[in-house]
Amino acid sequence: MAKEIFMPKLSSTMQVGTLLQWYKNEGDSVDVGEPLFEIMTDKINIEVESYEEGILLKKYFEEDDEVPINHVVGYIGEAGEKVPDSPPGESGAAKEQEDVSDSREAQVEDLTEQGISETVTEHISDDSHGENAAAEKPRATPAARRVAREENIALSDVSGSGPNGRIHQNDVMEFAASKTSFKATPLAQKVATAEGVDLQAIKGSGTNGKIYRADVENAKQASPAAGTGGKRIKMEGIRKVVAQRTLQSKTTAPHVTLTTEVDMSEAINLRKQLLGMIEQQTGFRISYTEIIMKAVAFSLKQHPNVNVSLEGNEIVYKEDINLGLAVAADNGLVVPVVKHVDQKGLSSLTAECKRLGKAARDNQVKPDEMSGGTFTVSNLGMYAIDAFTPVINQPESAILGVGRINEKPVGVDGAIELRPMMVLSLSFDHRVIDGAPAAAFLTELKEALEQPVILLV
Amino acid sequence: MRELTYLEAVREAMSQEMRQNEDVFILGEDIGVYGGAFGVTRGMIEEFGPERIRNTPISEAAISGTAVGAALTGMRPILELQFSDFMTIAMDNMVNQAAKIRYMYGGKGKVPMVLRTPAGSGTGAAAQHSQSLEAWMAHVPGLKVVQPSTAYDAKGLLKAAIDEDNPVIFYEHKLCYKTKSDVPEELYSIPLGQADIKRQGSDVTIVATAIMVHKSLEAALELEKEGISVEVIDPRTLVPLDTDTIIESVKKTSRLVVVHEAVKRGGFGGEIASVIAESEAFDYLDAPIKRLGGKAVPIPYNPELEKSAIPSVEDIVAAVKETLNHR
Repeated sequence: MAKEIFMPKLSSTMQVGTLLQWYKNEGDSVDVGEPLFEIMTDKINIEVESYEEGILLKKYFEEDDEVPINHVVGYIGEAGEKVPDSPPGESGAAKEQEDVSDSREAQVEDLTEQGISETVTEHISDDSHGENAAAEKPRATPAARRVAREENIALSDVSGSGPNGRIHQNDVMEFAASKTSFKATPLAQKVATAEGVDLQAIKGSGTNGKIYRADVENAKQASPAAGTGGKRIKMEGIRKVVAQRTLQSKTTAPHVTLTTEVDMSEAINLRKQLLGMIEQQTGFRISYTEIIMKAVAFSLKQHPNVNVSLEGNEIVYKEDINLGLAVAADNGLVVPVVKHVDQKGLSSLTAECKRLGKAARDNQVKPDEMSGGTFTVSNLGMYAIDAFTPVINQPESAILGVGRINEKPVGVDGAIELRPMMVLSLSFDHRVIDGAPAAAFLTELKEALEQPVILLV
Repeated sequence: MRELTYLEAVREAMSQEMRQNEDVFILGEDIGVYGGAFGVTRGMIEEFGPERIRNTPISEAAISGTAVGAALTGMRPILELQFSDFMTIAMDNMVNQAAKIRYMYGGKGKVPMVLRTPAGSGTGAAAQHSQSLEAWMAHVPGLKVVQPSTAYDAKGLLKAAIDEDNPVIFYEHKLCYKTKSDVPEELYSIPLGQADIKRQGSDVTIVATAIMVHKSLEAALELEKEGISVEVIDPRTLVPLDTDTIIESVKKTSRLVVVHEAVKRGGFGGEIASVIAESEAFDYLDAPIKRLGGKAVPIPYNPELEKSAIPSVEDIVAAVKETLNHR
């Protein structure tokens, strides 16, 4: 009896995996534990190993195909065994894929109104109950589907006038016409047609957003696609997720960013003293990142109202202090999570941060090492950056941006001295955290870093 | 231009063809002095004599076998069957011999013959003389199938059929015989595999054959009064089938109704529907394809029952409205 190979679900947010490569061909024999194929999720690239032993009988997907989680990717069994030509439950599978693409179309319109992942989740969870999905799937004629495709309209938005609500071509056309209710001067329309500019994408400068010729010309110049060819890379994998997550965070959480300057003299001293010891113990050199993370964990412990997240209507106070560490990998931003930072000494913290940093850069972070964060630290101190406004890594409610350490003249007891100063930027979600508690937390953090001995207590 | 009936057009095509080509001759039952079951060959024996207008014994097997043999030896026979229902008796010669000989002999023998035969109901000729069996023949590789609906088409298509080097089954609907249209005096040819748009329209395409072309045109006039614009396409030949014209029309109207007199089940309408479903026109369909065909009953003798066994103008009007969701 042939066994299905499924697209694994590797994180709570994973909906689809992109098949990067097969390691086996149809007809190859496979042992338990042997890598079968590599996938890219929204967070990582990972090899999927076989749970079965036998012959790889069927591969349903090609490289670069996106496969929803828990879908049958192929079959393993005995040579000559019969397996379906298309993935089992193909009607369901095809439907799901179509719905996913429908939902993608919907997303384009939904971007400004609501988060993307919600839309995706909604559709995919619908599909896991086949009957519901069938009932909710819009009935539409082939012609209606074609026009919807051409006009980039989600059929679910259109109400059908046919029997049992079947959507006809006319319904889609009328919907499309009602959608394009933008106003433009005849000259602007003419110029837009001649220049190939999409009027819908332009914000008019006239009353009620009326589009003038100048608006079209400005849009044409501003458009990166205008004139030059340029290299184009499809948004996918991590890049796409970063785009979606940052947009969602920025559009759902009212960000407020507080900054403060920290005198790092004592922290530098501490690091000098610990450097040799920790290197001897772990083989890694402690960096400011670990000291800052330790200080953050210390301060969060004093200010649990910052270590929170918003779940529905409830503010959840997190018991654990798990710090996300934003790492720039080649293909995008990866945030591995260091668990229980408050319970770790600087030595084990150094070892773990270094290990996770390397794993992140090598695309080797495991799914469970990416989840469970309660607060994130984003350090740009290695660049010539003093301060910035970090974007909250939801569902967390706050994030710390760390700038470079730079010698600056500061006033000390009535004299001007040069001190190694560092700017901390704390972005927080004002829905759940007010300015005063955030400021109190940041002050605590500043004080901890200026008197880092307290971290060793 | 002068008008001819369909029957006269068929006769004229044969006469003109026989005058210019010595190899063409006609054979069949009672086609000589009697002039054929429906009078198509009436008067021809006077001009061409019994050698070329050959009366045969009552044996469709014998006539068709003779025609196949004559065609193989270089003649161009036209065989008349009194009723297309009698095809069953000529079946082996047409399906197993005529259709395959050219293929099986690697092109070294060819069978340029036309089997003309009246088909369809409406004359009170009952179950054994009223059938529409064109789908049987269309299914057989090697046979060409022609189904003209007008006098003009009948003359042009018969000329093309006689000139064709492969066996052609030429269905003449009994009720079409008395229909008239403008027919040029000179002999002209309408290529096999070229549909005709009998009426231009924009809301729905009707593909109809034989007498159903006329009924569909009547239905189109009815529907026009309600502002519904119907395009009527007559494929004229089922094999080869002009799929392009049908596909283009469906892409234009987004709706398709197929009408034929033959029993709907397994009828040629299914083929036309499938052609559309498989083509790029599928993405233009704005309603399910509708097929109208005869009921699955032997054609009754009772005239009222006979009428009700096949699609009527009212049925066509209703089917069009259904595809337009006007009901």
